[in-house]
Amino acid sequence: MAKNIYEDFLRLNGFEEDEMSEYIPEWRKACDKLGLTEDDVKFSTEEQLPTYFAVELEGIRKLLGCFVKEIIDLTKANEYKEKGVKIVYGILPTILHYYYALKLTAPDKVYVSFPDIFLTMAANTFFHKLNPLLEEAERTGIPYGCRHCALNKTRYAARRLGIIPSPDINWIWGFICDEGPKTDEFIRIYHDPEWKTYITRIPHDQPLGTVEDEVVDRVEYLANQMRDGFESVQKEIGIKVPDEKIKEVIDTWQRYAAKLAELNLLMAADPQPLGATDGRLFWEPLALPYNTGVESMERALDITIREVKQRVANKEGILPEGAPKLMVYNASPTIPWLAKMFEENGVGIPFSEAFTLAKKQLEPPTFEDPYMAAAENWLRMSMAVNPGYQAEQICEKMETHKVDGLVLGLMDFDRWLGSSHRLLARMVEEKTKLPVFYIEGDIWEDRDYSPEALRTRIESICEIVKMRKA
Amino acid sequence: MNILGELAEVTRTRPEKLKEQREKGVKIVGYIGRFVPEELIYASGALPYLLCRGGQPEPPDAVIPYMLRFMSPYARSQIGYHLLGIDPVIPMLDLIVAQCSDCHESRLADLFEYFKLPTARLGVPPDWEKSLSRDYYYKELTRLGEKLEGLTGNKISDEKLKESISSINKIRDLLRKINLLRKEQPPPIGSDEFIRLNHYSFYCDLEELPPKLNDLYGQLQKGKSPFPKGMPRLLLAGHVVGVGDYVVPKLIEASGGVVVAELLDEGMRQCAWNVKTDGDLMRNLVETYYLERTPPSIFQPVWEERVEFIKKLIRDFNIDGVIWYGLSFEEIYDLECSIASKAMDEMNIPFLKLESSYEYAREAMGPLTTRVESFIESIKQRRS
Repeated sequence: MAKNIYEDFLRLNGFEEDEMSEYIPEWRKACDKLGLTEDDVKFSTEEQLPTYFAVELEGIRKLLGCFVKEIIDLTKANEYKEKGVKIVYGILPTILHYYYALKLTAPDKVYVSFPDIFLTMAANTFFHKLNPLLEEAERTGIPYGCRHCALNKTRYAARRLGIIPSPDINWIWGFICDEGPKTDEFIRIYHDPEWKTYITRIPHDQPLGTVEDEVVDRVEYLANQMRDGFESVQKEIGIKVPDEKIKEVIDTWQRYAAKLAELNLLMAADPQPLGATDGRLFWEPLALPYNTGVESMERALDITIREVKQRVANKEGILPEGAPKLMVYNASPTIPWLAKMFEENGVGIPFSEAFTLAKKQLEPPTFEDPYMAAAENWLRMSMAVNPGYQAEQICEKMETHKVDGLVLGLMDFDRWLGSSHRLLARMVEEKTKLPVFYIEGDIWEDRDYSPEALRTRIESICEIVKMRKA
Repeated sequence: MNILGELAEVTRTRPEKLKEQREKGVKIVGYIGRFVPEELIYASGALPYLLCRGGQPEPPDAVIPYMLRFMSPYARSQIGYHLLGIDPVIPMLDLIVAQCSDCHESRLADLFEYFKLPTARLGVPPDWEKSLSRDYYYKELTRLGEKLEGLTGNKISDEKLKESISSINKIRDLLRKINLLRKEQPPPIGSDEFIRLNHYSFYCDLEELPPKLNDLYGQLQKGKSPFPKGMPRLLLAGHVVGVGDYVVPKLIEASGGVVVAELLDEGMRQCAWNVKTDGDLMRNLVETYYLERTPPSIFQPVWEERVEFIKKLIRDFNIDGVIWYGLSFEEIYDLECSIASKAMDEMNIPFLKLESSYEYAREAMGPLTTRVESFIESIKQRRS
């Protein structure tokens, strides 16, 4: 039984037969390291993944497989460190070019990861088992009652439990929340003096409605912060990244983004051809660096696009034709039941606002300097800017994708990204006259906001939307 | 303590006085946060008014329709009173200068703007050890100065700025002298009154305050301490005791302890540091406000330095125990509390964490009182 369930899990996740002999022992070892039992693997194989993911599609199975390979790789980070590989971490959200460029420059000498989000994805998306990590953090200095972010708790707990090593450098982009960077200071003082961090910050001090990417002073300040950060990282690990590597990353990134845009267009088909969580998972390589690379992810995306096109051609969908659709702030795969619950109630949430590009994000940069261009790009992102500008971008995205309303919230652990949603709801509703709903909840973990706790709220939202559309 | 009574009365009637001044054409500038130099506001000819209220549960609740519930009750209070229609000052402000050093403050500024209140933000980068950040704060102060000049129509001359810096330095000097009296056993003034005194000092005229503080210092020097000898001496640490949020300081004293030192980031004068009055005055403001004073918890890296500062206060003020006064959902202070607690544990200094959402109903007061009383009792027993 033991052998079979690990093998079955890998097979379900798109591993080829000729990969099994290599990966079965590695996966078992990774499970031991992550505290996953045979029962957990069985639950994932027989319940979690088939319930929430379109595992009947080869592309989705391959996509899940890419995550599994990355998770296995993450559990080897301690070994990499022992062999002298430089460990570079970061946190969400960032512009990934710099991390990928490091990897491209010195593939065997550097390991890059955002370990907290990968572990959260691994634990909750696949096994619904993040609690042991959260509880470890809560027992040892990050109290439960303050509603700290699950990612920060996970990063800390993973280090405490020895799942991950101390980084040679942890480049923290503190351009969004305060708790992310401060957690790293906490880890260093409270638990691990070797937890080395370099932080870059920018104050949230722009008036409502300011188009921040057009404020040259601000772009310049941010560019200098990025330059300063990246140079410090390179110096710290002794790897010099040539400009062409950054360019190479940008080319790959753009190619992948163009394919994602194609998938997004397909997601807009009526009937909706694919569940929101499946579609959203493909965005991860644009948000997190994969130490194992994005090539296999891109292949999975190509297969999925082909399969979804077929579904669209066949008018085959997960919802009836004409079903209402909402934009949601972030349909995170870490609570996959959320999208499923909407879909079971006859409403699609095919687009995540945070993972939908505004028109301006697709425009070429104004600046030639790569750091200025990156900073400008960052300040075109709705999540990074003041709520006035953010609301404008959300309205534009809702108009582009012709949705019937918007769902905000589910971010109550984040004092930046989550704290403006009630205000945004008012601004967007005033402008679009479309319904905007707010759900108090948490996209990373569901201890406090379980499916049953949110069911009534989601059902009533769906009823309202369906009535309006009827 | 007649002087404290007088200062309390001046503070209570400050809104009326500001109204009179406004009718005479003087601009009134509200401000939030320790990085907004009053010196600049005075030098522009405007009158400052510190927005620092706290201690009641209704105002933070009034903000919930517009903001995440899990935000600082202190930040929410600064606009909550206004939303309830019971803030006498905010409607008459010509400008609100909102410090943006963390997410709570920035979201508060969002709300000020959403409700069409005249707002100027002051960005304060938390990565304070970089020259980039220092320059950013300098530019922000320069912009603020220009904004104030535009508002008042007055040029902020070096002479005016020097005058206001000197006046506020004088207040800091006197508060510092009063603070140092608390090293005595027993101290001549407790935390409840010292924190109030700090608060009053923000609401009195610059000319009126120093003589009163001087008199108070004289009285405290000569007078008899209101506390019996041997009371446990405590440090109160945390983010802020807002104006009106006096339940905990009072409770500590009523429970047999006396707070002789504070590490509070907001609502206090930070009186140990004066701004230099020679050279480039704007640079001097940056130097003192951004670099010299004990950095706030949001700065990074900072917690080790702050723990060292706590240890110094423990030594200098002969402190027996630390009470951490946390406010609900202030995530950064919550993390810092764990660090401080661990450090105190290593030093064998008793540590008590309290947390408030400004809910001081009878049901909440019972357990709070029991915790504080037991803590103080345990310190007494350790000493006996």
